[in-house]
Amino acid sequence: MPPEFVEDRRKAALEVFERERLPRWRRSGFWTTDVRKLRLDELEPRRYEPLEELPEIVREHLGEEEHAGLLVQRGASVVYTHVSDDRIVLTSLEQALEEHLELVEPHFAKRLPYDEGKFQAATAALWTGGAFVHVPKGTRVEKPIQIVWLIDEPGTAQYAHTLAVVGELGECKLREYCLAPDFEGQALHAGAFELYAQPGAQVDLAHYQDWGGGEVHDVSTKRVEIRRDARVKWVPVHLGGHLTKQRLDIVTAERGSDMRHTGLYFTEREEHLDLFTTDKHEKGHTTGDTVWKGALTGESRSSYEGLIHIVPGAQETHTYLQTHSMLLSPKAKSDAIPSLIVQTDNVSASHGGTVGELDEDQIFYMMTRGVSRSEAVRVLVEGYFEEVVQRLEDPGLEELVRRRIAEKLRGAEEQVKEFIGERS
Amino acid sequence: MTLEIQNLHVRTEEREILHGVDLVVKRGETHALMGPNGSGKSTLANALMGNPNYEVTEGRVLLNGEDITEADPDERARAGLFMAFQYPATIPGVSVANFMRMAVNARREEPIKVKEFGELLKRNMDLLRIDRDFTSRYLNEGFSGGEKKRAEILQLAMLQPELAVLDETDSGLDIDALRIVAGGVNAMREPGRGFLIITHYTRVLQYVRPDFVHIMLDGRIVREGGRELADELEEKGYEWVREEVAA
Repeated sequence: MPPEFVEDRRKAALEVFERERLPRWRRSGFWTTDVRKLRLDELEPRRYEPLEELPEIVREHLGEEEHAGLLVQRGASVVYTHVSDDRIVLTSLEQALEEHLELVEPHFAKRLPYDEGKFQAATAALWTGGAFVHVPKGTRVEKPIQIVWLIDEPGTAQYAHTLAVVGELGECKLREYCLAPDFEGQALHAGAFELYAQPGAQVDLAHYQDWGGGEVHDVSTKRVEIRRDARVKWVPVHLGGHLTKQRLDIVTAERGSDMRHTGLYFTEREEHLDLFTTDKHEKGHTTGDTVWKGALTGESRSSYEGLIHIVPGAQETHTYLQTHSMLLSPKAKSDAIPSLIVQTDNVSASHGGTVGELDEDQIFYMMTRGVSRSEAVRVLVEGYFEEVVQRLEDPGLEELVRRRIAEKLRGAEEQVKEFIGERS
Repeated sequence: MTLEIQNLHVRTEEREILHGVDLVVKRGETHALMGPNGSGKSTLANALMGNPNYEVTEGRVLLNGEDITEADPDERARAGLFMAFQYPATIPGVSVANFMRMAVNARREEPIKVKEFGELLKRNMDLLRIDRDFTSRYLNEGFSGGEKKRAEILQLAMLQPELAVLDETDSGLDIDALRIVAGGVNAMREPGRGFLIITHYTRVLQYVRPDFVHIMLDGRIVREGGRELADELEEKGYEWVREEVAA
């Protein structure tokens, strides 16, 4: 039997889930994120048998790189687990509650209230499988720890929960991949991710999302807590998803903690991406650095809202936030909203946001060197993302991201050409 | 390679800037185009390269007898025309070396071999006394004025165009930088290559001696001559030209 605190949380969350309607989020301006077209009743948490071999889509994305551990959840079931570094724990969260309760209990859902909304409640009530990562105190794990969330059939509801704890002075690279092949029909990934970086820990965290061309709805909350003198570098990459509504929060919770948050997105067709990130400083003498860059083609929509929040008493905090988005089609729309709540003095915090188009002067300059217009556009967009891609500091993942961006640009070549041509 | 500019009228969105310019630059010749600020020199350079912000309303541009008035900038570049910009664009995320390789390959059938490219780049950087670490920086990002100009001349040296337009390359350079840049240009002068050097000042012409000098005023070429015209201008100033024209 799962422990009582987990069952109590499920029951309480289920009440919230059943009570709440499918939400529609509105903000001033043109922005609305509406999930009411999701036919939630028709989706089910599909169960699968364990796999001997990795599915092809997973192999394609992970490449040949060796890992410290790999866990794959398909639909509602963990279907593959392999741990090659036996100093760490990497199991399903269900199993961790049975075998490593003492490691799980102090952190489980500590920063994930179940009543933040319908989907958060759904995840808290209905999660199955799940992932648990534990890197013990003082342990340095060089190879990446990889977790894959796979949806490969329409009609799937995936309620995902990842709990990661990196012990004092521990070091690791943690990667989460959200993958789906192109399919026809709806699916849901309602995710909860929590990472606790204990004092002095160093975590290199990346999320790679590509839900393919199907109607995958992703409503997720990801939260990272950084304790004294610990450092987390977090790079979320969004390269596909019919509708994505995510909240990504980093909390520098104790003195000396440092976060570096660098995100990237590329939306196409009629994709809808709604991101809200917070860089929350709960204690002084902490530092932060957030940079997000996006590009849009087709009739896609993106909204990035980034908040820096410095609470009372958190003096000597130094942080900044920058967000840029680049429109590559006349029908794409984007919003960039950096904001700031500073409730104390003696801090430095700055923020800025831009929405722009490709610079005709840059294109002209490149063309005078013999480079064609479409090649110039490709190079400029790739160059625009390069700053962010390099922050991954992971050659395999960098290559994957570059390749996918190049593919998306090739797919949009005609409309970009038309768009740029129209303006010149 | 011969560049012929015939009765060229060019306008921006607001107004006509060039009111009928005629100019011929033949292979092996170095021409200086001089004029005060706002006379239309840079407009001519941009129109020659096909900048979409400038519209040719009358006249034409011929390269080796072929009409390129409507050609895209990249076609002109591949045909052997080059321009060193007064204010080159910044290309974030693209290193100097990668940019150079892309530009070199744009004019070739087969991509240049890595080793050959490396040697070519090194030779030209030595010529212009450019530090090695320069090549890994993003093109023009955070460059000083002098670095930008050197990066332009480095591209000139790498691309070996048949006809090069230098738009105010001398402006903002101190005397040492000017000497180095002028030395780079002189090293490239050869019977097969033409130059059109656009400048406000006569200073650069002490280092790169032109064969012909043209003076532009209010969108027209109003005086032409040999290099002695530059010396006369140095002595008497643009006001003298203006008075002469008015007379």
